[in-house]
Amino acid sequence: MKPERVLLFIVCVMAVLGALCIVLPGQLSIGGKEVRWPTLAEVFEKKHPDISIQPSDTIPETPEEPEEPEQPDTVVVEKPKPVVIPKVEVNDSIDSRYFLRAFYEALPQASERVVRVVHYGDSQIEEDRMSQQIREQLQSRFGGQGVGLMPLAQTIPTVTMKQELYMNGRRVNPNAGPRRYMVYGIRDMQRRDSHYGVMGQMAVMADSLVRGSEAVQAVCVPQSEKVHYSRWRVFADSTIHYDFSGDTAYLWGRGAVYGLSQESANGVIVDNIPMRGCMGLVFTKIDAMQLSTFYREENVKLIIMQFGGNAIPSNEKPTTISAIVYGLRDQIRYIKRCAPNASILFIGPSDMIRMTDGEWETYPLVPYMDRLLKKITMEEGVAYFSLFQWMGGSGSMIRWRELGLAGEDGVHFHRSGARKAGNAVAEWMLEGMENGQWKIEN
Amino acid sequence: MTFWQSILGFNAESPLLFTQFYFWAFFALVYALFALIMSSPRIANGRQKLHLRNVYLLFVSWFFYYKTSGLFLLILAFVTLSDWILAGRIKANSQKPIAKVFLCLSVVIDLGLLAYFKYAYFFTNLINDLFGTGFRVFDVFAYIGNGFAEAGRFSVDTIVLPVGISFYIFQVISYTADVFRGRIQPVKNILDFGFYVSFFPQLVAGPIVRAEEFIPQLYKPFRLSRRAFGIAVFWILNGLAKKIIMSDFLAVNIIDRVFNNPLLFSGFENLFALFAYSLQVYADFSGYTDIAIGVAMLMGFYLPMNFNSPYKSQNPQEFWRRWHMSLGRWLKTYLYIPLGGNRRIGFGTYFWWSLIAFVSAALTGWWWLLIPFAAFMVGVFVWNKWASSKAKVESQKLLYSNLNSFITQVLGGLWHGASWNFIIWGGINGIGMIVEKIWRKMNWHVRMATMSGLTLMLCIFDAVWQLPVWRLFAVWAAIIWIGTVIRYIYWLITKDNGKWKMENGKWENITQSLSKAWAIGQTFAFITFTRLFFRSSSNLDPATANEVAWATAKNMVNQIGGAWNNAIIPDFLWEYRWVVAMFVAGMVIHWLPTNWKRRYRLAFSAIPLWLMVIVVCVAIVVIYQFVSAEMQPFIYFQF
Repeated sequence: MKPERVLLFIVCVMAVLGALCIVLPGQLSIGGKEVRWPTLAEVFEKKHPDISIQPSDTIPETPEEPEEPEQPDTVVVEKPKPVVIPKVEVNDSIDSRYFLRAFYEALPQASERVVRVVHYGDSQIEEDRMSQQIREQLQSRFGGQGVGLMPLAQTIPTVTMKQELYMNGRRVNPNAGPRRYMVYGIRDMQRRDSHYGVMGQMAVMADSLVRGSEAVQAVCVPQSEKVHYSRWRVFADSTIHYDFSGDTAYLWGRGAVYGLSQESANGVIVDNIPMRGCMGLVFTKIDAMQLSTFYREENVKLIIMQFGGNAIPSNEKPTTISAIVYGLRDQIRYIKRCAPNASILFIGPSDMIRMTDGEWETYPLVPYMDRLLKKITMEEGVAYFSLFQWMGGSGSMIRWRELGLAGEDGVHFHRSGARKAGNAVAEWMLEGMENGQWKIEN
Repeated sequence: MTFWQSILGFNAESPLLFTQFYFWAFFALVYALFALIMSSPRIANGRQKLHLRNVYLLFVSWFFYYKTSGLFLLILAFVTLSDWILAGRIKANSQKPIAKVFLCLSVVIDLGLLAYFKYAYFFTNLINDLFGTGFRVFDVFAYIGNGFAEAGRFSVDTIVLPVGISFYIFQVISYTADVFRGRIQPVKNILDFGFYVSFFPQLVAGPIVRAEEFIPQLYKPFRLSRRAFGIAVFWILNGLAKKIIMSDFLAVNIIDRVFNNPLLFSGFENLFALFAYSLQVYADFSGYTDIAIGVAMLMGFYLPMNFNSPYKSQNPQEFWRRWHMSLGRWLKTYLYIPLGGNRRIGFGTYFWWSLIAFVSAALTGWWWLLIPFAAFMVGVFVWNKWASSKAKVESQKLLYSNLNSFITQVLGGLWHGASWNFIIWGGINGIGMIVEKIWRKMNWHVRMATMSGLTLMLCIFDAVWQLPVWRLFAVWAAIIWIGTVIRYIYWLITKDNGKWKMENGKWENITQSLSKAWAIGQTFAFITFTRLFFRSSSNLDPATANEVAWATAKNMVNQIGGAWNNAIIPDFLWEYRWVVAMFVAGMVIHWLPTNWKRRYRLAFSAIPLWLMVIVVCVAIVVIYQFVSAEMQPFIYFQF
């Protein structure tokens, strides 16, 4: 075949495809699914997001608002109507760290007694991510030792703690250990009652009569000097007996174990409590008496809730997101009732990206959810840290991913990214304490 | 101005990739001028025409490389120049000892550049680990560049790997070596040689074209039969579909998520992602070279086949003959055979063996490793002397080929990436190949005994230590053991019974097919297992990338061996049905008989051109649906 015929072929293919750019977009659907094809404008428009990470590690003063939908151009071929994302009015002039008052006031007492911080979150904080930096910074300043709470059977290893589990003398996989129940787990793992304990998960030793009594040995070895501890604690039914030797906790008997803890007798203890796949709407399913007893007796002065990310990928409508945020408001109210003397800090979702037409882009509802969360937390008297704005707003995850600060999935931080984010949260809190603004009545 | 700048300038963010519209627009323009040169007698004739074509394509290729890699074009130009000169010197001094010096000089320059760009971090880390120093890499080229441009234009603290350097360095080495061996004549015109080194379809990701295969094509007139045209179009479409549907879609929707955070997923999901990754690596790489082959063919150049349905292999050795064939052939010709092949072991073998031993010991910090490595080497040396005296030729051949191919595999692993996990990857492949070769030589009683013993041992390990890794190996061994038992029994029944085979010809065919399927399955499983060590994040600094790669492999093994949960498998298969369907479809297409594939390829190439235009357009629209497909939402099944 002569080259000119090949060229003719190439030109024909391009011409047909080009013609499709004019005819096809938004016009054809097969079996209810729209056949997607770019417009000419989309083909020639180069997408080069020019984003840099926030250089100062602080939240910008004028936060990004959700984008207003563009007015449809009458000349352009009709496309499906864009979702209208409502604008959220928030008073950004108030420094929400004012609401950390109870925590700030309690911190000076840490030299004499324990001041506890409980950090709940979704998979973004698994493996002790982010909590680790918050703990390190608070403990280096106010004292305190140990990683805090951990489940009896640690199915997800953490950076700070390595656990080995033995049952009746034999090493077992954590999944094959005592039966576990989780408030955020699949149906088979849920309880009929609401006694999940403060971690939202618990294990029952000798759950069935057939299994008889169980002796469990949990060898929990701190992975760095920073998490050395001076005392063991066990939170369990009174029917559970226990003893400790070095890094090993021995438990025997029949009953519920709500958690083990490595800590100190004073200083700040930070508990990392990840709830995989959870939107944060589960606290009301946990027995209020159990929560309030723990918060009161353990002198919990700060409860960090870091949720929202799991609502984003599967929801396309602003109304659903707003329903979830109002659901979170109910959870905050519930936690407040259980811990009336503690401050609450809510950490919103990070920037999250998805692949659309071969390009990464921020899920359109992330900015909206972020603003709405800020709004309701302000109304509820809860401090708010916008991870999304701090990262640099829409599209910042693209850069984070390229820099290796976040994973290829465009959602989860790598350890380096988590370190950066955890430190930013800790510094933001400490800076708020030092500037003294919280002392001034708003 | 900005328009021209964006068209002509280098932007690291937008390289010319085969899967993007810009590449095809570029190609259409290039082809238009190409067609003009080739068909207009007024422009040039005869040899002159070929020369003009070669020069034109050289500059096009350089522009392509500039768009992809910016000023690294200078490196490409430099190796072109240095190897062209040195090959000329070699030819001029052939038969003289100095020719060898020129050859060595060329190899040192080429490998030196490769080592500098690709292995600087690796060696810096190694030295820092060894001596507790805190050296950091320093980019000499950036430093020199800063001397010319304004200060600080180039960063001296990082060394960026020029795109495609591993490929074109190997190409120029093959050229110089072939000239040295007298297999080809040196290219007289440097521009022609430059064209061979930088021909744009294969410049960034192969195939690695050996000089003797490609250089003669420079002087042949353009020839593209109607059928070849159809096949070229087919390869391009096939490559695009592989790259976008099989590779990118699976990667974004499952593989990246699992590899990124294995602990979020159950054992089954991890195993599925690992197998899907095997398909992804193949589809990605082979898709890219399919497109390269098709594009080159449209311009009348024929690149060698690079992948021949590698997951149809029945053993690891065959796999390496079907996978990245151009690299395999290169390593065989320029590494394995010079090392001695199956004919001898010499200085090269001992040298590389010692180096591998040293690097392994240094990286792990287990210096005692040197003892078994050294003991092995001494053992080999002594045994070899003894075997020579007793004339045990066959055994010697076996030893030589195994040892040399193991070294080739490890170095081949290192070629893929400068990190620890690629060495492990190469090592496992080498061991797998040797074990399989030994296995094939065993008789059935020995096989049965060995497999039973191994399975029993792994089951005991699993029972005693209860570690996921032992569970994984024990289950794997048990599966192979079951297969071995069945095959052993079959062998016992049929071994002395030629009559049985005669009478049961149909059964014999079925059992042979089953046996083949079993071998393919086992080889695929083994290769997939090695993939645990094949993945390394390119967006991390090398030390962290190493750590992350190792942690990923460990966590995946932990999940597969420890967090298996049968109850969630149906849920997973249902929720990820599109992903699973794509994976299954990919494997089924891969395993279609070769002659079926050839038949539909030929059928496609024979359709009328107008119909081909329609088919191509429909195919591209279908492929685009996958580019723009909505992502599978995250669903967690494992807590």
